[in-house]
Amino acid sequence: MSRERALVDCAWVAERLGDPLVVLVEVDERPLVYRLGHVPDSHCLDWHGDLQDPVARDLPAPDAVERVWRRLGIDERSTVVFYGDNSNWYACFGAWLFRHYGLEDVRLLDGGRQAWLAEGLPLTTEEPPENVAASAPAAHLMPHYRALCGQVAAAATDGIQLLDVRTPAEFRGDLLTEPGYPQEAAQRPGHIPGARNVPWDVTLGADGRLLPDDELRIVLAGHGVDLERPAITYCRIGERSAHTWFVLHEILDLPEVRNYDGSWTEWGSMVGMPIELGAGSPSALDSGAATGAPAGAGPSSRARATSSTTTASST
Amino acid sequence: MKSGDDEQVGAAAAAIRAELRRLRTSLSRLEEAVDKLPETRRRSRAAERPRPARYYGVLVSVYERGGRQGIAAGDLGVVGAEGGYDRRGLGGFFAGTRAPLQLVDGRVRLTAEGLRLVDRYLDEVAR
Repeated sequence: MSRERALVDCAWVAERLGDPLVVLVEVDERPLVYRLGHVPDSHCLDWHGDLQDPVARDLPAPDAVERVWRRLGIDERSTVVFYGDNSNWYACFGAWLFRHYGLEDVRLLDGGRQAWLAEGLPLTTEEPPENVAASAPAAHLMPHYRALCGQVAAAATDGIQLLDVRTPAEFRGDLLTEPGYPQEAAQRPGHIPGARNVPWDVTLGADGRLLPDDELRIVLAGHGVDLERPAITYCRIGERSAHTWFVLHEILDLPEVRNYDGSWTEWGSMVGMPIELGAGSPSALDSGAATGAPAGAGPSSRARATSSTTTASST
Repeated sequence: MKSGDDEQVGAAAAAIRAELRRLRTSLSRLEEAVDKLPETRRRSRAAERPRPARYYGVLVSVYERGGRQGIAAGDLGVVGAEGGYDRRGLGGFFAGTRAPLQLVDGRVRLTAEGLRLVDRYLDEVAR
């Protein structure tokens, strides 16, 4: 992927309003903002209702995703464009999920609702009619886009960098969640040993749009991200880390990036997982990789054994 | 090398920090639980000072236009003016322990209370 393939701007969308091959999808942290007004012909997907399994804590099953695709009128020729509030953080989860299930042409409206509003483009409160596709593509898993707990635990051994994209206060363990999200707390604060803190929003400009590629590279390198090495991103429940996944995999074209959607609410709540507090040290990952164990991880063998069990039960 | 006293102080500080974390988490959960009680919701809504729609409009505009980074402090006057507020009358949004807006690095952002009010307004609109 590349910026040209993965990212569109408001003008691109405005020129294609009404194009049946372009499916616009809004995913919001606060889905009710859709009712205040949305991009004409855009559909609203609810993160809880449409992009999660309704019972288990897991991604929706392939047949559920296919039903969503049919409901949105997505077929093999469709270009799907995601956008949303709060600088696209939930929208990116939708984009990641659709890519994870094998949809090829998935793009992001740069800046999301914020950009559309800033440009004074038209909004509507009319919901588009259900445009059921005669034949939606079959959902098939792209196994390289998602990380499960066992893969995260083995990351340092496998030479994979772990990128914690939460706020520095969450990373250090000062807070369990950002203020306003008490329902997303884990049992313990802190971060996965060896992870680097790369807050997801360092990739954004003040207007909510993504920084240009060269600036992205500089900013990410400044946070210790090696753009030549495989990476796993995580946050609290996998949405902010989906944004960073999108930046690394879809925009900057890193070959192997996975999103750990279990994220801190999984890792920080399981018994026996190694946890590190504090700001971490720049050399932590390197020394962990060199010794074959996450730096400061404590009993890493125990962590791997625990996570293997968890992985087996969560897949 | 640390002296025994230093180590004791360090251990005590770490224990206090851990206790503070636990307390913050517990408080957060308790506040959430209390807010969910129907009677509490009714009382707090009744006791809460009624605000005009334009008040919530300012908060929704900050949420919508600010995205993750918030809006530039200089743009708040424009947002306020759209709601009929004089620039000098916007200070109240930042006042008090339950202020809905905060200034962070030159950007205006919603506080947790501000987000709560946005949610409340959106709920009302959706009814």
